[in-house]
Amino acid sequence: MSVTEPELLDLIAQEAIIDREKLQRDATLGDLGISSLDVITMLFELEERYGVVIEEADMPKMETLGEMVDFLMQRINEQPAKS
Amino acid sequence: MSGPRRIAVTGFGAVSGLGADAAETWDAVRQGRSGIALRAFEGGQYAPEPVTFPAALAADGFQGRLEAAMGRKISAGLDRFALFALCAAYEALDQAGLVGDPVLAERTAVVLGHGQGGQESLEKGYERFFGMKSQRMHPAMVPKVMVSGGVSAVAMQFGVHGPVFATSSACASSAHAIVQGAGLIQSGLAEVAVVGGSEAIATPGSMAGWQAIHALAETTCRPFSQGRDGMVMGEGGAVLVLEDMDRARARGAPILGEYLGAGMTSDAFHITQPSLEGTSAAIRQACAAGDLLSQEEVLVSAHGTGTPLNDENEAAALNAVFAGSAARRPVIATKSAHGHLIGGSAALQTVIALQALRAGQAPPVQNFLEPDPACVVDVVVGQARPITARHALLNAFAFGGLNVSMAFAAAA
Repeated sequence: MSVTEPELLDLIAQEAIIDREKLQRDATLGDLGISSLDVITMLFELEERYGVVIEEADMPKMETLGEMVDFLMQRINEQPAKS
Repeated sequence: MSGPRRIAVTGFGAVSGLGADAAETWDAVRQGRSGIALRAFEGGQYAPEPVTFPAALAADGFQGRLEAAMGRKISAGLDRFALFALCAAYEALDQAGLVGDPVLAERTAVVLGHGQGGQESLEKGYERFFGMKSQRMHPAMVPKVMVSGGVSAVAMQFGVHGPVFATSSACASSAHAIVQGAGLIQSGLAEVAVVGGSEAIATPGSMAGWQAIHALAETTCRPFSQGRDGMVMGEGGAVLVLEDMDRARARGAPILGEYLGAGMTSDAFHITQPSLEGTSAAIRQACAAGDLLSQEEVLVSAHGTGTPLNDENEAAALNAVFAGSAARRPVIATKSAHGHLIGGSAALQTVIALQALRAGQAPPVQNFLEPDPACVVDVVVGQARPITARHALLNAFAFGGLNVSMAFAAAA
């Protein structure tokens, strides 16, 4: 099951409780106030919706929202489609 | 040497099945409107068949005013019990004129009482674990379930850095919280205390537990009436802002009432049955603290759950303490309108009692059928009764024999 960038941004806005319009690619995670608990909550929802298991510890160090979105989209969309 | 600091109430807020703020709540009880309705409790695919009980549940959207003012960053991550507390705290602090005031950061306490904490989040988490047999739990489950989640949310939302903790004593939780908050002011540890409590345990698993101890009414809540058959579960929360009286007056704050003192006892007797000695002793201490026995009239906001045992014991305790006093004592029992908020009840009843003193009206006990010869107290029935009382006595008697009685005065 694949995810589009707008779908992923909707999920981030919902799980990290951030206004959707503030989610610009060059915004830093620190400026957006995305905490570690926000990230693991997001990963939990990604597993629920897309069946992809991503551990927080496996995520590379990232500064911007764009980097995180690219990483998450790659991991979700490389999964074999579920039958 | 001066006496103990006097404690003013400078703000209050409430959310319940009667409305989303203190004014809506008061309008409903004064007019004899009830928040109780038959509700089906549906526990999902792993649960037994749904059961139907009367309950008083808060209407959707109760958090609208809070979120319009403060955003959703904190409120959106909370269990329902903590959200009730946060909404009521915002209303109370807004009324007190203290949102954004430096005193919140420097000299303020938050003490809220809850019987149980995040029951809805716990049941959802355990559905995943025991039902779906999933090892992976929602990462927010623990912070949502913890009983201190409410006070932490209030502290984070309003930037409170002083003493912050929760009290838990079942149905007396928010009464203990009010007394502790007042004590923090009187001991000099704070100048302002945000006190009260909340509860959200009208959940399918919890209701099955309450059914098992035969505490729930099948019809409705009829305090002190013949034919009463139990309590009705409610939900919601209420918060008061307590403040050093001199400080409140100096800044021109609204004075909505005065906390005069309390009595606290433990029956050390039985986990569900009340004791006449324990409850009487708490009432006697509160009456002494507030000089209630020498008043012409005292408004009594009874614990009044509508269970056969509580109401008979409470009537006897009131009569024992007031024997020899000429004080008229109209008894109200507003759980007949808002149900039993467990940890939130005492705070909600305080918000109602202070409004009753201010309006000079005692709201009626609802669903009353006939007087019970075992409960000989002056129950206010029918419609709101005009009163001249300037003092209120408020009881909260919890399972496990944990008793609190509090004395309040109307604003001078």
